[in-house]
Amino acid sequence: MRKPYITIIDELSKFALSLFLLSVLVFTMSRLAPGDPLYSYYGDRVEKMGTQEQEAARERLGLHAPIPVQYVQWMKGALHGDFGISYKYKTDVKEVIADRIGNTLLLGGLGFVIIFVLALLLGLFCAWREDKAADRVVCGIGTVTSCIPEFWLSLVLILVFAVWLGWLPSSGAYSVGMERNPADRGSHLILPLAVVVLGHLWYYAYLVRNRLLEETRADYVLLARMKGLSGKQVLYRHCLRNAMPSYLSMMAIALPHILGGTYVVETVFSYPGIGTLAYESARYQDYNLLMLVSLMTGGLVIFGNMLARIINVWIDPRMSLKSGGMSGEVREF
Amino acid sequence: MKKGFPGISLAVLTIVVACCLACEIIMTKDPAYMDLANGNTAPCRTFLFGTDAMGRDLFSMIWYGGRVSLFIGFFATLISTVTAVLVGSVSGYAPAWIDGAIMWLTDIVLSIPGLLLTVFLQAVLGSAGAWGLAVVIGLTSWMSMAKVVRTEVLQLKNTDYVLAASCLGGGFFHILRRHLAPNFIPSVLFMVVMNVRNAIVAESTLSFMGIGLPVEVISWGSMLSLSENALLSRSWWTVLAPGIFLVMTLLCLTNLGNYLRKSGNKRHSNL
Repeated sequence: MRKPYITIIDELSKFALSLFLLSVLVFTMSRLAPGDPLYSYYGDRVEKMGTQEQEAARERLGLHAPIPVQYVQWMKGALHGDFGISYKYKTDVKEVIADRIGNTLLLGGLGFVIIFVLALLLGLFCAWREDKAADRVVCGIGTVTSCIPEFWLSLVLILVFAVWLGWLPSSGAYSVGMERNPADRGSHLILPLAVVVLGHLWYYAYLVRNRLLEETRADYVLLARMKGLSGKQVLYRHCLRNAMPSYLSMMAIALPHILGGTYVVETVFSYPGIGTLAYESARYQDYNLLMLVSLMTGGLVIFGNMLARIINVWIDPRMSLKSGGMSGEVREF
Repeated sequence: MKKGFPGISLAVLTIVVACCLACEIIMTKDPAYMDLANGNTAPCRTFLFGTDAMGRDLFSMIWYGGRVSLFIGFFATLISTVTAVLVGSVSGYAPAWIDGAIMWLTDIVLSIPGLLLTVFLQAVLGSAGAWGLAVVIGLTSWMSMAKVVRTEVLQLKNTDYVLAASCLGGGFFHILRRHLAPNFIPSVLFMVVMNVRNAIVAESTLSFMGIGLPVEVISWGSMLSLSENALLSRSWWTVLAPGIFLVMTLLCLTNLGNYLRKSGNKRHSNL
């Protein structure tokens, strides 16, 4: 059995290596994809520029060199904390992201906390009432919500609550001039948040339910029942406690998916967050911005996986780093 | 018939698939014809589900477009399943260091933002058609299944019959086909069904975001890509009609998948 700190050092070096490989992959992929970053910088003015002017612009943005040279250049800057400028916004990419990240953290973070608590409660409830009417109703509703694509749910919610009823705003993070008004921000947050929560909740609640049902079939439950504990007590004190490690490691994997997976919702609601930035930068070749956004979201995914493995080994040393707990989530679009 | 068999889901799914395949019989109008005089018409007797902003008949488009969406669902799943089985079983069967390396690379590929991977693959493949999109979706969705296959193969490869087969000189593909696959198929079968579902979701989401199928190629996703404008003109039917068909199909697939997953677990609760 290895000592825990060696495991952590091992994992951290793996994390750094993964991040490096990710940066190489994203850098190469973005530059190999067709499309001209000059459009991102100059817009349609590119068409009026002469060949020489275009070459000069490319030279100035450092786009003329071969890809490996460009990568080394980028890496040199990145190691000093300089990630270059965004072609579209013409400022330091860090500033562009700093402007937006609060909105995404608010949406994704709040969504994660709500999902974390609700999934546990719903899973417990369903496991307790297994195959009774209440469980079936919740499972039925849950399955339906998990089948609705996020973008369509967003559209329907906008249709009902913004267009028909007119209760809630349909887009943005705040009304003009109301940036600091919590009530206004809250009302802009309700619909996107509802979509984020409904889109993920049942996936996790159902896993909790099934994990708990596995536990209820173990032999120690018979023993505890024989001692005179009620079914509810066994469920809370023993089954839940046994299921917790795999729930925690599963939620560590879920964190980046929920935080970083908000771009569909952000796009439909025109919510100014990291997701909309990622979408723009990938589509319009805003290289430097794309690199930093990808490293942030990709790094978060790698970090979440690492955290999950460490949680597993920490709580239950019998589990080697190789085997996972509950299954991870599928990639989201 | 076993308890919990999703008969209704299977029936609905069969009807939807059959009707989409036989859409020529059902369609009341030409789905691609733009009747500009009747744009944004509410559902009525001529246009059963109404028309979109370009005057196309939604009822006909749903069946016609369903073909494309279902095709992408199945073809993408074929690609992702084959990839997952190959990667997963090679990784599980190979020595530990190769296994570690393959799984590590899989994790890195998983951490590339899906959006970027999609945009990139699409640019490389260079076509905005249904085939291209299916390949893109297939190539970006094999990872989870590969992990499950690998876990199963890890457990299977040390069983006596696999050892015996390899001692008798059985090659990797022989063992995969005769001994490994029959054992892990039940546990990945539900993932296959779920992959069909996820591929259909991916098609509609990508088309909606404007990086999937263009508006001229009719599918459930591209029909919905017009619906943001529809919200402004309050033509709710362009949002609801294709969406309800989409969700209904997804729901049937989910029920089928859950049934396949549950059929393995029959023990009783001790509570």
